[in-house]
Amino acid sequence: MRLARPLAALTVAFSLFACSAPAEPGGPAPDDTFVIGLSSEFENLSPVLGYAADGGSLMFDGLMTRAADLSLKPALAAAAPVTSEDGKTVTFTLREGVKFHDGRPLTAKDVVYTYETLLAEKTNSPIRSDYSAIEKVTAPDAKTVVFTLKYAYTPLVQRTTLGIVPDGGMEPTKPVGTGPFRFVSWTPGDKMAMAANKDYWGGAPAIGKLVVAFAGDDNVRATRMAAGEFDATILPPKAAKRFEGQQGVKVYKQDSADYRGIMFPFKEKVTGDRAIRKAFSLAMDRQAMVDTILAGAGKPAFGPISPDISWHNGEISSQTAADPAGAAKLLDEAGWIKGEDGIRAKDGLKATFTLMYPAGDSLRKELTLAAASDAKKVGLDVRPAGLDWDAIEPRMAKDALMMGYGSPFDPDYLNYELFHSAYAGQGFFNPGHYSNPEVDALLAKGRESADEAVRKEAYTAFQKAIRDDEAWTYLVFLQHVYVVRGDYQGVQQSVDAHEHATGGLFRDVHTWKPAR
Amino acid sequence: MGGRIAAATLAVLGLAVLLVPLLIPVDQQLVDLRAAGLPPSLAHPLGTDEVGRDVLLRCVYGLRVSFLVGLVAALVSMVIGGLVGVLAGSFGGLPDRLLMRVVDGFSSLPHLLFGIFIVAMFAPSATAVVVSVGVTHWTTAARIVRSEVLSLRGRPFIEAAVSGGASRARVMRRHLFPHLLPHLLLATVLMVPHAIWHETALSFLGLGLPPHLASLGNMINDGQRSLLAGDWWSSLAPGLFILAPTLAVSVLSQRWRDRLNPRMRSELAL
Amino acid sequence: MTRLVLWRLAFAVPLILAVTAGMFALAHASPFDPVRQYLGDRAMTTAPEVVEQIRANWGLDRPIVEQYTTWLGNLLQGELGESRSFNRPVAEIVAERLPWTLLATGCAIVLMLAGSLVVGTLAAWKKDSALDRLITGGAFANESVPVFWLALLAVYVFAVRLGWLPAGGLTDAASTTLDPLDVARHMVLPVLVLAVSQSSWLVLYVRESVIGTLREDFVVGARARGLRERTVVVRHALRSALLPFLTLLGARVPELVTGAILVETVFSWPGVASASVRAALSVDFPLLAVLTLLGTLAVLAGNLLADVAYTVADPRTRTLGVS
Repeated sequence: MRLARPLAALTVAFSLFACSAPAEPGGPAPDDTFVIGLSSEFENLSPVLGYAADGGSLMFDGLMTRAADLSLKPALAAAAPVTSEDGKTVTFTLREGVKFHDGRPLTAKDVVYTYETLLAEKTNSPIRSDYSAIEKVTAPDAKTVVFTLKYAYTPLVQRTTLGIVPDGGMEPTKPVGTGPFRFVSWTPGDKMAMAANKDYWGGAPAIGKLVVAFAGDDNVRATRMAAGEFDATILPPKAAKRFEGQQGVKVYKQDSADYRGIMFPFKEKVTGDRAIRKAFSLAMDRQAMVDTILAGAGKPAFGPISPDISWHNGEISSQTAADPAGAAKLLDEAGWIKGEDGIRAKDGLKATFTLMYPAGDSLRKELTLAAASDAKKVGLDVRPAGLDWDAIEPRMAKDALMMGYGSPFDPDYLNYELFHSAYAGQGFFNPGHYSNPEVDALLAKGRESADEAVRKEAYTAFQKAIRDDEAWTYLVFLQHVYVVRGDYQGVQQSVDAHEHATGGLFRDVHTWKPAR
Repeated sequence: MGGRIAAATLAVLGLAVLLVPLLIPVDQQLVDLRAAGLPPSLAHPLGTDEVGRDVLLRCVYGLRVSFLVGLVAALVSMVIGGLVGVLAGSFGGLPDRLLMRVVDGFSSLPHLLFGIFIVAMFAPSATAVVVSVGVTHWTTAARIVRSEVLSLRGRPFIEAAVSGGASRARVMRRHLFPHLLPHLLLATVLMVPHAIWHETALSFLGLGLPPHLASLGNMINDGQRSLLAGDWWSSLAPGLFILAPTLAVSVLSQRWRDRLNPRMRSELAL
Repeated sequence: MTRLVLWRLAFAVPLILAVTAGMFALAHASPFDPVRQYLGDRAMTTAPEVVEQIRANWGLDRPIVEQYTTWLGNLLQGELGESRSFNRPVAEIVAERLPWTLLATGCAIVLMLAGSLVVGTLAAWKKDSALDRLITGGAFANESVPVFWLALLAVYVFAVRLGWLPAGGLTDAASTTLDPLDVARHMVLPVLVLAVSQSSWLVLYVRESVIGTLREDFVVGARARGLRERTVVVRHALRSALLPFLTLLGARVPELVTGAILVETVFSWPGVASASVRAALSVDFPLLAVLTLLGTLAVLAGNLLADVAYTVADPRTRTLGVS
């Protein structure tokens, strides 16, 4: 259930953490304090333990960072890294004159310490496996860091957005970084306060004090936003509606790579039949799901790569509306014939399967119910089962699952693990034992090639291949909706990932400047 | 609420729970996204929920689910309590004292907290809810049964049976059980609303029945999100469906208690 | 009195042992994987061997009895462990949240006592009037209302519709300090709901016992002496009805714990009771076990209080005190 928490913006909330107090005269926040209402709290504030590894921590910088168009640009590195011929050695040169918040200068030792701690077994870092390509990290001199890889891994540079911590570590409750804001205080369950780093190498932020307040419930954040307690927040589309067109408030709808779809068990007779999966997909009324469950803030999804990302293959998004007739035809042809109870069967086997969803996640619950209702119309009997992740995991090889993933960064992220047969049966990656040698080859090609054109071609073909197989039935891409009070320059819209800390729209909050 | 109104309420709800699913068989898992969040109207007397299901109909289905879970949980606690009570009452002496200490200990535990603990450790499900309610609520039954057994032990017909050489098991089966049954049944009936309350509280916290199942607690939990946006009907209605039968049973039980013997009255502090 | 306290304590030790052993056995039998809970969403992108490593680091591969004794020993030494859902020491969480629970519950108890006394006495005084029937009927109905539903209705009416009071939380978000007035405003609804939900039995009890004492000789005597009606009710009848209160209150601690869990959850009150729900949802055994134990201790303390109060409020001392 806690797994659902990063998605809390659009999901269930168990508490009504609200304050509907009317705005006090003059506004409750002192002028230079900017309050952001977030839906989920950070697990910890340590980059090596996974805090904002994709950037967006505001307190830490990585070697590289991302521009609004998601391209990589140097941050603590002085320039883009140099990769050796065989792709196994990546060398970074550090930026001059960068200081940690406590005044210590940044050296290559800090970088080595960060990565070594992350990779050390006793750290128990949950993101360790993302960095498993790294053999070792060394510092030949104070300004140079060399990554030695076990195998050629082009997306490594993408992973270097990981925040750098000072050599020797820091107190877990008092993080020290090099970022645009320095840590002031953290009241768990309530809020975290930060102050501008006046000496930031990228220029001091215009916002002097930044408070990140945590409120899991969507309506509560909406109420607190309306009351003037928050200067900015993220809301589900339904709750954000009231702010549209309001004076002094701006609503930003940000596209995301965050999808929801159904993972099938391929070794089961019913879901293992491509006709069933294809017909199921045809029966889905994705537009109704977007309109009602997402209140219009989203897009129908047909593959793992969002149409807002340059890697997207437009060919796969051809189905525009639900096609129950087409689905019925497909099933009839494949020998799945409707019985008296309206459920199809083939050779005595009923067209029925269980669709699991995480019990604490109301978005996935509603999508599951909608999918089951659509499937029923074409004679497929889909049985929802709301379970905890621990109950879901052992059943993933047998039952379908409503899942969510999505990264806007590199197409290698997640997709390699989700669709490569080497990961079949491994945890949450490919539990349904999907296996297609063509897909395996395409994923390997994309991962190991350094040539952009070759990669693009590989991932285009990959999207087509899994759509042809209907390896997953993708339903929707979410839009993340942000509401910001006041007029700021420098707000840059981008494409969000499945999860983010102070990422998303707020990743560049240090470059925001009041327009007044 | 007078006794008659209470009885009538229970009768109407009982009939609805039994008949409505037969007369209007609706798959409660089917949703209609194009009819979501409608306010009360003639077609939907209590409106529709956030995925377009009729709230009134869902309340009736929900009461059915909650009632079943509550009944089974009450039965479980009666069985456990009955066994402990019979053992304590018929053995007497040290076993009795020890068992009653256990009963005291158990009844002093905060029930919902332990219910939460049990459900948390075994994943929310109907079984977990039944077990968590059953194992925390058997003490009342144990006390009732024990005191009945104690009072029966002194009665002439039991003494006669024992001195006539009947085995302990036979005495229990032939003489004790028929006398205990009505008390146990009544205690079960009175326990049901409490068990329903427990189910709804757990479901409300997200620790009860599977969330897509129509249960009153789940409905209040779902409705909670619409409530702050102004859709009051989807949380108000299921609450009334908990309130009405609970109140009716408590009114009726008040009347019964007045007619029952005073011992029962003091033990049944539900 | 001392004997009574000692007896209670002697009874508490096996109970606590049984409770801890029971909880540990349940946790062990649980199908849940604590490592999965710890990883959260990242479990899906974490390699299996990393998971195994964490498991070994936590000692989850050792025999259960060893794990239990280690855990119990640590508890006794005050090392409550690390909460997996908050990622912080359990002791810190309890220390931080317990005062808020005590504050809210304490206020609710005071309010409930005061309110029930007034309302119950009023009903007794005007016995069989329309007011009495309204109060008695209301108390019965209130007893059947699920507290979380009552809380939601209160939020809807006072926070959403009228906008008078905040719907939850401890303070306004922008405030970085604890302003007592701000906290008080946020406390109104949770305290009110908790007090109301717990007060039915008390109102009915006060009513019955005041009616009872109104019939007793010394009250009849006082009336005969021509004392004012209000003086009779307040000074005599109410006072002697008051003494068994603590006894009853002590016995009601389990219900208070239950009410606190639900009310704190609905209002996002940052107390220990709402933390127990959060811990349960993420199968955070270290925290949940300590909180459950805390609940048990509260109940035992309540029982002790009830016993002591019962001795103090012995009928003989009571008559002496009143006359």
